Amino acid sequence: MHRARTMLSVPTNRRSILKGAAGAAGLAALGRRAPVRGVSAATGLSVLSPLAPDPAPPGVAEFAIPEFDAWKAANDVDVTYEAVAWPQLHDKMATNFASGTHVHDIMYNCGWVPEFAQFLTPMDAYLPADLVADLPPSSFSTVGWDGKKLGVVFSLSLLTLFYNTEHLELAGLKEPPKTWDELKGYAKELTRDGRSGWVLNYGAPEGIGGVASYWMTFLQQAGGTMYGADGMPVFNDAPGIDALSLMVEMMTNGSTDPGSLSYVGINDATNVLTAGNASMMMNWPFMWKPANDPESSQIVGKLGSAILPAGPVTSASIDGTDAWTIAATSAAPEKAAELIGFYLSPEVQKKQWLDTGWLPIRLSVLEDAEVQAAAPNAAVVLEQAKLPYDSFVTPDYNEVTQALGTEIQKALGGAKTPEEALKDASDQVTEIVKKRLG
Amino acid sequence: MSSPAETGDWERGRRRTGLLLVLPALAVLAAVVLYPIARTLLLSFQRAKLAPGGLQTEFAGLAQYRQMAGDEAFWLAVRHSAFFTIGEVLLVVVISLGAALLLHHPMGRSPVFRVILLIPWAIAPVANAILWKWIYNANYGVLNAVVTGLGLSERPVNWLGDPSLALRMLLLADVWKSVPFITLLLLAGLQNIPSYLYRAATVDGAGAWNRFRFVTLPGLRAPLMLAVVLQTIWSFKVFDLIFVLTKAGPADATLLLNFLAYRVSFNFLDFGYGAAIANAIFLIMLVLAILIVRGFAPRRSAGAQGKLA
Repeated sequence: MHRARTMLSVPTNRRSILKGAAGAAGLAALGRRAPVRGVSAATGLSVLSPLAPDPAPPGVAEFAIPEFDAWKAANDVDVTYEAVAWPQLHDKMATNFASGTHVHDIMYNCGWVPEFAQFLTPMDAYLPADLVADLPPSSFSTVGWDGKKLGVVFSLSLLTLFYNTEHLELAGLKEPPKTWDELKGYAKELTRDGRSGWVLNYGAPEGIGGVASYWMTFLQQAGGTMYGADGMPVFNDAPGIDALSLMVEMMTNGSTDPGSLSYVGINDATNVLTAGNASMMMNWPFMWKPANDPESSQIVGKLGSAILPAGPVTSASIDGTDAWTIAATSAAPEKAAELIGFYLSPEVQKKQWLDTGWLPIRLSVLEDAEVQAAAPNAAVVLEQAKLPYDSFVTPDYNEVTQALGTEIQKALGGAKTPEEALKDASDQVTEIVKKRLG
Repeated sequence: MSSPAETGDWERGRRRTGLLLVLPALAVLAAVVLYPIARTLLLSFQRAKLAPGGLQTEFAGLAQYRQMAGDEAFWLAVRHSAFFTIGEVLLVVVISLGAALLLHHPMGRSPVFRVILLIPWAIAPVANAILWKWIYNANYGVLNAVVTGLGLSERPVNWLGDPSLALRMLLLADVWKSVPFITLLLLAGLQNIPSYLYRAATVDGAGAWNRFRFVTLPGLRAPLMLAVVLQTIWSFKVFDLIFVLTKAGPADATLLLNFLAYRVSFNFLDFGYGAAIANAIFLIMLVLAILIVRGFAPRRSAGAQGKLA
């Protein structure tokens, strides 16, 4: 559709008419994509998506393909995917926006919605009331900025606890840890026979899934928060230090896999747990399927899931924020919203879990008996969703988490005390926020 | 017989045609090399922010270069890059020279050795990085299996998680990848040294060491210079290993200049400051290349200078 609009905006002179005639002939030769007057033209939608097995839509991941084909035919829409490896998504979008040209109508977004807010279409008007009513209200907290809904989350992706049931049984532990004290005790008890009680990827500092975001999980469990009402950092307080001290204690007492400081991606840590070399970790819901796949896992049927152990105040998590957004430059935002509506339709959401392992976001689908039977951890994630799960995303989230994560790594490596690391992190984050606020 | 005027016209025409034929290639080079260099230079004097319609820029003068001078991360990356570059150039050149000498020996001339040598070089950079990620894995990596198996360490070593080790391990992985090309370069140089020089040196009573010192090394001056220049540039701009293995961690222990330029530009979206860092890298590499070329240039002896004078 935006292509047709561009053609109409070409100034009319002799050369442009000749070029237009040649172009029309060429487009007519291409068949149904040609915007011929009087004949309805298919709307072209381009979508930037992660490659599977990361959360990907029908057509990129192998699920709901007949439904997708039927939707495209019924809506006269051509969908072109550009699917890239997840770590490239942010840079790809940044480069596209820097070029100043329209590239994609729909883009996958993670914690970058505030950062790219000016390039996104507010979706408030495009979201049907029945869809909004079927989503956890808090799911919009990480895809909003300046009071506008700039995206819609399509997978309930909260960190929860995963553990090896066999290891717990062997250690005489009847149920998963419910508090920090139990977590520390269990991790120490489970560190035996060459295994570690706890594993996580602390190697990358920044972004959702970086060490800073894991600390934010513990921070909320201790009753802390990142920013005050004025937007300035307030995390250098007792809850912040408690959260970091917990991580440092579990590292220095040997109950955390020492390799955790070198694992830069969640798969690095997941592989340790699924190899049976560690007993507990926090992870995203996607883990359930690969951990129960005999081709990739040594712990099939031995994986348990529970809400994260509570700190001094509560259990809490962070939101992975797998969301769809619409580009502000899209010439067909209505159609783009309809495609997102299709991605979020109950039947596609159900197949999303059953065929790809990514949980749906719709509450009605999460409560579906078939989904719950195939996803024993779905109920756990739903329970976790009733508790705080703020990811504290801001336009400078990458820079903030880089500074914070680097200081946390210094504390985990023993180069600084938790107090020193958080003080230095707070000073750096204050400067970053001041720069943003001007 | 053509007149001089006709010959001149023909020569001018020939040159014009030659220029026309070369022009497309020059245009492509200008588009993909000169324009990015010029744009990056310009960008480094501008504050550049993402805005609808493209980059929003405003002139900043030397502000970003002043910011660089006071940036702890920049100086940390400079120190790491210097360590990495010096270490890698020394290791690669020494190992490659040894390998080239072995391959030049009659017993090492089998093509099988050269094929084996080329394997690290033939592996795609990211695949190479992933390979080393598995080798260095703290939990079930091959290197730890060897180290603990030989009894060199009781516990697995955290190769990439220990800030004091991580950069050294990346250095070794990059050395492994770089040795084949430099070896082939030096091998080609060895094959160009006339064999009569060795025979003459032997007749003069030179032993193996003296033949190496007074025949091989002077004969390898040009390829060695090229090897040092190329390896310095490649070591300075290493990126793939950092991106895949450590993301510059833990705690910035493996932060190199090239990764810092990437991080500032694409993670923090500060394109102006990222361009300033990229220009600093360009300038450092240019200066290093000039110094190395000058350092390898043949020196005239005082006697020779006297004769020429």
